[in-house]
Amino acid sequence: MTAPADLVVAPAGPGLAARARRGRLGIVAVALLAAIVALILLGSRGGDVVALSTENSRSTGARAVAQILRDHGVSVRQLDRLAQARVEDPAATTVVIAEPYLLGARQLEALAEYPGDVVLLGASDESLDALGIPATDEPVVIPRTEDARCSDPDALAAGTVRVSDEGLAATGDGVELCFLHGDAAGFGRAEVDGRTVTVIASAALVTNDQLDELGHAALALRVLGRHPEVVWYVADGFDSSLLTWGADGSRPTGEAPGSIDAVPDFLPPGTGTALYALALTVLVAAVWKARRFGALVAEPLPVVVRASEATRGRARLYRKARAAGRSAASLRAAAALRMGRRIGVPRSEGRDTLVAAIARASGRPAQDVDRLLYGPPPADDEALLTLISELDALESEVHRP
Amino acid sequence: MHLTGWTVALTALGVVPAAVTQSREVAFWWVAAVIALALLDTWMAPPTASVGVRRDVPGSVRLTQSTRSSLLVANVGRRRVRGAVRDAWQPSAGADETRHRFSLARGETVTFRTRLTPTRRGDRHAGAVTVRTDGPLRLAGRQRSLDAPARLRVLPEFASRRHLPSRLRRLREIDGRTAVQLKGAGSEFDSLRDYVIGDDVRAIDWRGTARRGEVVVRTYRPERDRRVVVVLDCARLSAARVGDAPRLDASIEASLLLAALASRAGDRVQATAFDRAEQARAASSGPAFMTELADALAPVEASLLEPDWPAMVRLVESRVSQRSLVVLLTTVETSALDSGLIEAVGALQRHHQVLVGSVEDPELGSMLRARGDADAVYGAGAASRALLEREAVATRLRQLGAEVVLALPDDLAPAVCDRYLALKAAGRL
Repeated sequence: MTAPADLVVAPAGPGLAARARRGRLGIVAVALLAAIVALILLGSRGGDVVALSTENSRSTGARAVAQILRDHGVSVRQLDRLAQARVEDPAATTVVIAEPYLLGARQLEALAEYPGDVVLLGASDESLDALGIPATDEPVVIPRTEDARCSDPDALAAGTVRVSDEGLAATGDGVELCFLHGDAAGFGRAEVDGRTVTVIASAALVTNDQLDELGHAALALRVLGRHPEVVWYVADGFDSSLLTWGADGSRPTGEAPGSIDAVPDFLPPGTGTALYALALTVLVAAVWKARRFGALVAEPLPVVVRASEATRGRARLYRKARAAGRSAASLRAAAALRMGRRIGVPRSEGRDTLVAAIARASGRPAQDVDRLLYGPPPADDEALLTLISELDALESEVHRP
Repeated sequence: MHLTGWTVALTALGVVPAAVTQSREVAFWWVAAVIALALLDTWMAPPTASVGVRRDVPGSVRLTQSTRSSLLVANVGRRRVRGAVRDAWQPSAGADETRHRFSLARGETVTFRTRLTPTRRGDRHAGAVTVRTDGPLRLAGRQRSLDAPARLRVLPEFASRRHLPSRLRRLREIDGRTAVQLKGAGSEFDSLRDYVIGDDVRAIDWRGTARRGEVVVRTYRPERDRRVVVVLDCARLSAARVGDAPRLDASIEASLLLAALASRAGDRVQATAFDRAEQARAASSGPAFMTELADALAPVEASLLEPDWPAMVRLVESRVSQRSLVVLLTTVETSALDSGLIEAVGALQRHHQVLVGSVEDPELGSMLRARGDADAVYGAGAASRALLEREAVATRLRQLGAEVVLALPDDLAPAVCDRYLALKAAGRL
């Protein structure tokens, strides 16, 4: 069978080259945009501005100390999320927590369970309490350079450091405090449950800015470089995951609720990835459904205003103004018109003729009819309703003579 | 390009390897592979240019009736084409099934029928015909919309034609052509015949009586070959909705019934739709007149303009030279005082007989009768005011000599026809 004539056939589209030529500007724009996005992404990686981060090369960062540690063969690993720690050998690892006051209660619990050495950069009452250090956080208003004045070898090696921002105040025995500035110590160390917990309360001394001053470098490098492995975490308050360690890196099991990766442990393993695959499927399904089978056809719609809109508006005005008199006048006139028409009294006839005719037709006294049709206007809604019901009654009594 | 459900199903299948390996990368690469397959499938799909379509649409259909539009799909390419077409129509065209799947060998054609049940009068336009061709894997394919313009003219429903037989019977009575021999009271001289007892003595033709020596009477019949001009106001006031349809629809019904009746009565009918300029016109020209009229009035839509009545008067005067019945289907309202309707009726009435037909709002009637609480009575008051104002305008028009018919939308057509018959019987055309 041959194809019939006058068919509508899609014109053969322009070739790829022609299309590329036509859309040159668009292609250039897209390429430019992609380049800019790539530059921004690449640039942002070097632009870490988080205080005490080992990637931050500004004065508040701790890149210098991390590099010196690396130069001395210590591997420094900074974490974005605490759960990424997966410390394999806690005995050979130093866990460094900067800004510990941002840790959550459950994170602190997990940290307390951790068997290896912990270094806190900065201090908070909660973290000190959780790690079993009998001390409290004490603000230092005026920074001052202090001598070690204690028996800790690291502190003695450092000699003098500047105590600023924060310090430790002892509340009991079991903690060695160094660099005392009045009550506040810039450095504290305690042996708790067979591990060493070190607090560099005046955390500013490890920053790029101050590392080369006084004995800062000595103290920082001695404290942080005790073990060949350093896991560095800057708490940010958004990450609620827990520190993980153990041979398989899975302790403690599970993560804190609220984390995106939270999968209750009663679900089989792989549920999370299955959900991830399902989410991708949903995206593909969205693309599938979003592609419309041809454009919508527009419908020119007629006017939808009701003809009675103006009258309804007037009714609302009457109601708002409580215009009982005006309303009654209209109703009376309309009733008179209808009754007059029914009994054959033309509209041009006067009041008396109409009243007389209606009185005759209804058998009511003329004064009564006159009062109903031409009486005083009703004062309120109550009177209006009474008048209207009487008027309706009269109208129903009027019959053709 | 378009995806099919199979792509989604295949993507969903990626859950299994993802769950087994517990690796997000596996899930991600699975999806990436499926998308790559879909792209490949699109590339392998037959080009949309290998499908030709042709629409065949019946010219017109009466509102509330159904018709079928056919869509011929032909494979003009070199390969077998599998895919689907969408025969898009405006929503008010009432297309039932617009998507059809096809599988055509080379050179083969298939015809799909789309049932159309329009829900609105006027021209219903078809949208583009969208063609999808599936790739060999059925994962994805190409898509293209083809411009195949088509139009279905939806004629007015003419629901009032059920009133036509009774009006025609009345017409025959007036005409004197009924079996009962009810002699019509026309005004046009028909013939002379002998006087029989019971004839009206006023009908005696004395001149004929003198000539013949016997008493003869004149007989009359209703006028024929009168001119009826139906003017539909399709301006602002006709756009307002009464019940479910604009006022204009009731006017169209009335003009159709009147045209049907008047052309059977031997009168010459012409119709025009007017707002500030003429929107449609039809003039009686033989047996196809009713179809022509319906066709002419079908696409008329009310505009949101103020009507130009003086221009309408000039138009009517230019169309008819002798005395005619001008049927003005508009809205009698207080705004007629400002818009110049009364002056226009006055001007027309000097040479013609004017009949003003106006659609009343049934809602006004229900507001008028509403009682119960104060709110309802205020509504009744407002409706009474509207009624009185309209009555005043109607009285003013009647004083000019025009006939005024105020009727509910469904009653307008028979009411206008009844008034026409009454005028005809009275010989006032």
